[in-house]
Amino acid sequence: MSHGMLNASKCRNPIKVPRISTERMSPEVWKTARRLFVVPTLAGALAVVLAIPSLAQDWIRTGTGLGLEKVRLAASDFKPSTQDPKNTDLLKTFNDTLWNDLDNAGIFDMVSKSFYPLDVPGNPAEVRFEAWSGPPPNASMLAFGDLGATGNNLVVHGWLYDVKNVGSPQVLGKQYTDAATPDAARLTAHKFADEIIFRLGGGVPGIAESKIYFVSDRSGHKEIWAMDYDGSNQHQITHLGSISLSPRISPDGSRLAFSSLGKTSWEIMVYSLDLNRLVAFPKFGGTNLSPSWSPDGTKLAFASSRGGESNIYVGDAAGTNSRRLTTDRGPDVGPTWNRKTGAQIAFVSGRTGLPQVYTMEADGTNVQRLTDQGYAVSPSWSPNGQFLTLSWFRKYGPGAPGANDIYLMDIASKQWVQLTHDGGKNDYPSWSPDGRHIVFQSSRSGSEQIWTMLADGTKVQQLTFSGRNSQPNWSWK
Amino acid sequence: MQADAEIFFEHSGLRKPLALSVVLHLAITGVIVFFGVILHGHGSAWGAGGGGDAIGVSLVSTVPLPASQVQTQNVLANDSKGLTKSLPQEKTNEPDAIPIADKHAKTKPKPVITASHQKTPPPPAEETNEVPFGQGGPVSGPYGTFSAAGAKGGFGFQGGGGDFGTAYAWYVRVVQQKVSENWLKYEVDPNIHQANRVYVQFDINRSGRPGNVQIEQSSGVPSLDQSAVRAIQRIDTFGPLPPDYSGSKVTVEFWFDYKR
Repeated sequence: MSHGMLNASKCRNPIKVPRISTERMSPEVWKTARRLFVVPTLAGALAVVLAIPSLAQDWIRTGTGLGLEKVRLAASDFKPSTQDPKNTDLLKTFNDTLWNDLDNAGIFDMVSKSFYPLDVPGNPAEVRFEAWSGPPPNASMLAFGDLGATGNNLVVHGWLYDVKNVGSPQVLGKQYTDAATPDAARLTAHKFADEIIFRLGGGVPGIAESKIYFVSDRSGHKEIWAMDYDGSNQHQITHLGSISLSPRISPDGSRLAFSSLGKTSWEIMVYSLDLNRLVAFPKFGGTNLSPSWSPDGTKLAFASSRGGESNIYVGDAAGTNSRRLTTDRGPDVGPTWNRKTGAQIAFVSGRTGLPQVYTMEADGTNVQRLTDQGYAVSPSWSPNGQFLTLSWFRKYGPGAPGANDIYLMDIASKQWVQLTHDGGKNDYPSWSPDGRHIVFQSSRSGSEQIWTMLADGTKVQQLTFSGRNSQPNWSWK
Repeated sequence: MQADAEIFFEHSGLRKPLALSVVLHLAITGVIVFFGVILHGHGSAWGAGGGGDAIGVSLVSTVPLPASQVQTQNVLANDSKGLTKSLPQEKTNEPDAIPIADKHAKTKPKPVITASHQKTPPPPAEETNEVPFGQGGPVSGPYGTFSAAGAKGGFGFQGGGGDFGTAYAWYVRVVQQKVSENWLKYEVDPNIHQANRVYVQFDINRSGRPGNVQIEQSSGVPSLDQSAVRAIQRIDTFGPLPPDYSGSKVTVEFWFDYKR
């Protein structure tokens, strides 16, 4: 603590280092500077290090006019470190999972494996830097390692190297021990991928271990199902034999709120994933739909028609102390909290005719309309609180052009971007915890299925294929 | 007389139902107005029409993804990375039909075009290989701060260990990316087209949290200074400092160049 602070303050105060940008330097200065200074290149960005020897401190200047490129990352296949026959299967699972996770992260430009040198490294001593940093791979980062099963144990070593920085290349070195099963190999690959994404993605945790909850009718009834973020491990959660809709996972991932058709009416139900059963939640009468957890997990907002017309109510997580927030005429449904602050709620209202998206403070004041026309539903707040995704017919009516697509809207400026296009009805967007992905329901393949995409609308992928699947909800972490 | 009397009798007999009718009509009108006021007196227009203004078809900023190199102005997300459009299919002209000689056809004299009648031909349209509107890779709005409309930025690192930038180039890159993602250019006064460079200095502690944000040198434009400080303050974390780095914090100097 003290060393760094002392050093920094000592260096700063007595002599103010002049700010020299390279374009302003005279040739003589530049020539001397060249001898003293190190000039590392850094993935397309120009970094000039001015090392003033007497001060022993650095000034790095980078300026770019072309934005930042994605990191070019090579992920070589891990090598077997033991002679166990199980290694082949485990390696395949591990390598495939690792590649998919890194490829799906959205922040890397993955170097195709066909460009790799023939001798892939299994440990740091085997890395040939020039072979990776030069063409054809042109990688700036390299993930490599080895995997070995001994008996029932699996040991994985993984490294992440900055191959353009020969002096101190290691960014990450990890060792994992787990059972020698394909599931464990998958989990280990997820963990290693998350670690890489965490380091190179600016402290945003990876989503490889997150879950998606959704509605599926493949058991004959519409029940709540869950799956991993990449579509694997799909399994049924509720067995109510009724119709269950709009699942919403609590921020801590322990409870699932949804609306279900009871004997007489639609009611909010809460299912505990720890206890694997429904937990008590009061029945309000009327039609109760679309629950939504506050970011601290202590409150639940939902739409209820107990007072006649559908309005937004907020209550405790156990359903007590609920009170009405909206007082207008016309139905109000689909509340969703600002995930960053918990101070605002977006909702859908039909007060002016066709449904439009509005925001209000969490106490019901300051109602503002966000969409100006058409038919807008299913708002979903981004984790950084800055964006709302919604499903919108910009032009609505018989013969109107356009379709039901997902839009991204900036709350403060009301600017928007259309994310999906040319493909069926797209609805129910939901954000991933890292704010880089959006899961949604689309009928572009012919039937309602769950799809994901990056938050800039690219890399669209289908996750579900059997039955009809709808209303996805991404877990909070 | 009796007939007259009957007539008078009939006239006087109309007065009562007429009055009753008027009273009833008034009552019905009153009831309608009353209920109209009661039922529609409040509420229905409350909060409505707030966003009634036209929403600008412009781009959303700061999706936490690296900006693509190719800057486009499309409002529609597009997977195509193409920089150039595909060339149009070549048209093959059908061979000219052979004209059938017709004796009776009247040959019209061709109008004589004098110099004064000649129109100057429009300059030939330049063949460009530009990407048509809405076709140029993923939406790449101003979230790549440094690329948007000529604005760019840069920064300096001041590490306790001496050569932070050399040893941890990847971390420097992360900082650059995070700040660029979080600079919202619409916070800057739209009347400003160009401004001096603003220098902002801040610390990153071991857990990666920025702190101690201060303006080192103002640009002279308060809204630009403010947007630069907010860009840093908006960031929760840059990710923990490299584990083998010995110092307790890193001081960063970041500059923002603004040009619209």
